[in-house]
Amino acid sequence: MTGADGCGPDHCITCGDDGVPMTVVAVDPERGLALCGDGGGERHSVETALVDPVAAGDRLLVHAGTAIAALVEEPPR
Amino acid sequence: MRFVDEFRDAELGRAVAAEILSLIEPGRHYKLMEVCGGHTHSIYKYGVDDLLPANVELVHGPGCPVCVIPMGRVDDGIALARTDGVIFTCFGDMMRVPGSEGSLLEAKAAGADVRMVYSPLDALRIAKQNPDREVVFFAIGFETTAPSTALTLKRARAEGVTNFSCMCNHVTIVPPVRALLESPDLRLDGFIGPGHVSTIVGGRPFEFIPADYGKPLVIAGFEPLDILQAIAMILRQLEAGRCGVENQYTRVVPYEGNLRALEVMAEVFELRPHFEWRGLGFISHSGLQLSEAYADLDAERRFQVPGVRVADPKACQCGEVLKGVIKPWECKVFGTACTPERPIGTCMVSSEGACAAYYNFGRFAREREVV
Repeated sequence: MTGADGCGPDHCITCGDDGVPMTVVAVDPERGLALCGDGGGERHSVETALVDPVAAGDRLLVHAGTAIAALVEEPPR
Repeated sequence: MRFVDEFRDAELGRAVAAEILSLIEPGRHYKLMEVCGGHTHSIYKYGVDDLLPANVELVHGPGCPVCVIPMGRVDDGIALARTDGVIFTCFGDMMRVPGSEGSLLEAKAAGADVRMVYSPLDALRIAKQNPDREVVFFAIGFETTAPSTALTLKRARAEGVTNFSCMCNHVTIVPPVRALLESPDLRLDGFIGPGHVSTIVGGRPFEFIPADYGKPLVIAGFEPLDILQAIAMILRQLEAGRCGVENQYTRVVPYEGNLRALEVMAEVFELRPHFEWRGLGFISHSGLQLSEAYADLDAERRFQVPGVRVADPKACQCGEVLKGVIKPWECKVFGTACTPERPIGTCMVSSEGACAAYYNFGRFAREREVV
């Protein structure tokens, strides 16, 4: 999915306003960070200041290492 | 994936396409602009426009930060990257954007320490790991990305990391949209609004579009069904003779935006008097710089930056593509001198750039057949 430069045909962090759904695995409230899984087996350190408080199991939309929204999942209407 | 696959359901897609067909006024041509590069990418990737009637035309907007970065800023970045003792960090696509004398990737090949990062937090980590070096983060992106940079600068200060600074190229979405609406070249009927920018800024900043220009805007998600549904919502407004800002992407976008993000942006950034956009020229109050309170973390103040303005390459028609005046395949150098491997213009660099999206998903061949 990702090219050698990190932004393959499916991915440009900024231009795509890329939002990756991730699940919180562990929270470090003191540092304002959460360890999150991206569903593809990778784990990332994510800034949570915009969506705090978060807890393990929460679903977040992550852009450039920052959770920009808590994901409220709803089916198509 | 749950709640992703549902938004790619072909049967539902055809049902919305049928609704779109029923909303069309015979003989009328509809020109709708998708502002965000992420939408452009999805439209080509999933063939969304193949499901639309011929008289619904999608025009690609300026919402791709890599595509609108002017050559002079790339040159400034390269000058910083070549400075002794500097580790220069940026997102991947930015590395391939051509400046007047090559790209950051070429500067790296020639010996500059340029490193790709996925987030500003990664850049800060590099700074902590290299206390004897100066680490510069080349910040780029619309309001979706700016809070991430702002939070990292606050973190750098809180953690006492003094060898970290930021060259700020963040831009805001409203001024270029207003500039497009003022452009005599382009007649638009409505807008597909940017999904993740709206997560931060909400729907209110777009209310001037219906209020001042009488055009509807529907904030949309990035899956194919999201885009089709947003188009149906725009057409419904046009059919009813009304216009307003509506939100298709309610599962992510609150209408008031993210107030914490807006607060942190207001603390760390201030508007530049003007900022240059590739192809669009200088636009007032369209770019962000670090506020006085964060001036010590501003790479443009910490280092010597040439700040030279460089004209766009003559052969390149990115400006007209970004304004939706021509389609990518109508550019003189599209697919010949300008390809994703060797881009001349920025729209061919990012996978969300209209030219690269056309090229990568085989739209070039199809359009040629039509011609």
